Amino acid sequence: MDTELVKRAQHGDREAFGLVAADLATRFLAVSRRILRDLDLAEDATQQALVAIWRDLPQLRDPARFDAWSYRLLVHACYAEGRRSRQWLPNLRILPADEPAASGGVDTVIHRDELETAIRRLSVDHRTVLVLHHYADIPAERVAQILEIPVGTVYSRLHHAMRAMRAALDADERPAAREASR
Amino acid sequence: MTTERDPRTRIVLSWLREDTHENAERVLLRALDEVDTTPQRRSRWPAWRTNRMNTYAKLIAAAAAVLVVAIGGYQLLPGIAGPGDAPSPSASLIARGTFVTGNAAVELEATREGSSVTGRMTVSQTASDGDYAFTVDLRCARTTEDGLIMIGGYTTEANRLGSVIAPVGSHAAIVLTRGSPGEATIWTQRGGPAYETSDCLAYLSEKLTFEISVHPEGDWMSPIYGIVELGP
Repeated sequence: MDTELVKRAQHGDREAFGLVAADLATRFLAVSRRILRDLDLAEDATQQALVAIWRDLPQLRDPARFDAWSYRLLVHACYAEGRRSRQWLPNLRILPADEPAASGGVDTVIHRDELETAIRRLSVDHRTVLVLHHYADIPAERVAQILEIPVGTVYSRLHHAMRAMRAALDADERPAAREASR
Repeated sequence: MTTERDPRTRIVLSWLREDTHENAERVLLRALDEVDTTPQRRSRWPAWRTNRMNTYAKLIAAAAAVLVVAIGGYQLLPGIAGPGDAPSPSASLIARGTFVTGNAAVELEATREGSSVTGRMTVSQTASDGDYAFTVDLRCARTTEDGLIMIGGYTTEANRLGSVIAPVGSHAAIVLTRGSPGEATIWTQRGGPAYETSDCLAYLSEKLTFEISVHPEGDWMSPIYGIVELGP
């Protein structure tokens, strides 16, 4: 991210923040959708995160750390959305609209249902490290900074999450898929 | 960064990295609209935030309490008929009741005559951002091997907030368990096209059964408070 833009936004320049937000929005929506497994929740989380970035930006001491800091706000917004949907609609399960399947390899298409089942069984903690590291391509050390957890915990969550996902593809190993959901 | 020698790992990573073409324009515009009216926070602990949250929480709690009292009082009134038209003598009951589950107030009546299922379900719920309400025309039902009773149909009416979570024409269903107290969950389909032409029973036996299977056990059912009568 352009630190000059970040500094201008820190001082209340809404036009500069618009450019910052435009740069973040698509990436944030893709990441939050993969964590929350629901487009509407992901849109709400992305909106919350962008507004929180604007509101709290003056408190960011080092603009060079903007990327990690902004991801942290996005992850917090994802957790909040997850909690909010449970708190206020505890007994109303809202399914996302059916959508055409995204393009993918033959193997991926065949296993899509198993993979979707497996990732929903993961806790949000496990989903978050999986998505940040393997989808957003953020190194484990930076994921640890974003989530404010030890890097060993990041590796541990990645290990368990990937093992559960792989197990979903192998009927003989299904019991392992439940471990990371606890 | 990642070892991809295991073919299963390659499949997982390929699926995780699939491009789903999210369009962020709408959410960006919404965020910028909100930013226009949002001041930046320069002091660390603004007092207004705590006060506002407390007041908000009190309002929600009060609204929820009024709803529960209203439902309870309704049930105590003598001679009040159930929702919908009276079933014909040859119809067999699937489920009937007026109850609260989670924080949703439900009025339900579904009967079966031959292979035909008819009935109606109204759902109202007080949420953080207002009152949700919608009505479902019930048209299909099935009982799973585990004894879950699934009754499905299509949303026919919804208020403004209700239409966000249960758009008119989309699938909706209730899943019930026997027992004392029984448990229930209401399912809706948010957004997308109308589904009136699709197969109601297939929705229950395929889509809903899949969704139930992926939710962790005990995560998705809430006790029923009120009266519910289940058929054989």
